[in-house]
Amino acid sequence: MTVRATDRLTLRPIAATDMNDLMPFYLSDRGHWHGAGPEAGAGRAWRICAILLGHKQIHGFGNFIGRTNAGEAVTSVGAFCPANWPEHEQGWSTLTDTTKAANTVINHDRDELGWDTLVSYIDPANARSFALAEHLGATRDTTAPRPDAGDLVYRHFGAAA
Amino acid sequence: MTVTITIPTLETERLILRAPRIDDAPAVTAFYASDRSKYVGGPQSAEVAWRTLAMEAGHWALRGVGRGAITEKGNDTALGTVGLWHPEGFPEPELGWDLYDSATGKGYATEAGQAARAYAYDTLGWTTLISLIIPENTASSAVAQRLGATHDGDFTHERYGYMHIWRHPAPEALT
Repeated sequence: MTVRATDRLTLRPIAATDMNDLMPFYLSDRGHWHGAGPEAGAGRAWRICAILLGHKQIHGFGNFIGRTNAGEAVTSVGAFCPANWPEHEQGWSTLTDTTKAANTVINHDRDELGWDTLVSYIDPANARSFALAEHLGATRDTTAPRPDAGDLVYRHFGAAA
Repeated sequence: MTVTITIPTLETERLILRAPRIDDAPAVTAFYASDRSKYVGGPQSAEVAWRTLAMEAGHWALRGVGRGAITEKGNDTALGTVGLWHPEGFPEPELGWDLYDSATGKGYATEAGQAARAYAYDTLGWTTLISLIIPENTASSAVAQRLGATHDGDFTHERYGYMHIWRHPAPEALT
């Protein structure tokens, strides 16, 4: 399945061919927000990529990679729901630009997957990420359960169960 | 472009070796909650165990091979994880096996390991195979010996630490 987010951006389900773009991201300083980063090493970055690919395989849904018409990977965005996650979560990694892609996938989750509601869990120190959540129109949910007590919960649509 | 990954199903006298699935999560979670997982990165929380299951599935997409669940014929409950494992940071591809509590003492790791090794040699054309085992894991080392593998040097992994390299017999030595 291919989703065209804008006339400049195409989203496709994450695949092994995206590794060349994902590995440098997880090995960079911004990989810290995802439990990776330069000092965690290539083994850790690789395992996170494998988790994203395997999530898609065993769940049937997961991340999309957004590319420009020139093929530049600009974002990884999509649902992430490991065991014990309180509810469906939308995550994103901004390789260079995420906003349009995130909007498209949020609509996909609501309209195609038929989910009633969707949240994002964000480390309060990750100012760029919660700024994006607010830019996307998500609202803070102060009472919803969360994987980590310190996380912020942003709700994109629907209401808490 | 949609990439479809074909994961083979292998059959032995008593066992099926099949693709990892989301409904294996309870068995995988119970294994990683138990002391039995202490030589393979555990114990782990349920959430980390789930991510490990997802990683096992994603390994197939990245490497074209991977590990899967072993089940008894006629019962689809996962009893262990066996197969070909080559994550970033391993010196070369290994044959790996984790056996869950209820499946020990029956020779299942050896039986499934033989099938996965035969697949590597006969179907994929691999010419050698190792298993990395923490020395204190005597049960797993005994499986390696039953499979005919011999101690062939050592390796220190970034998370698992010091491990023995067990080298399996070459394909021509098994025929």
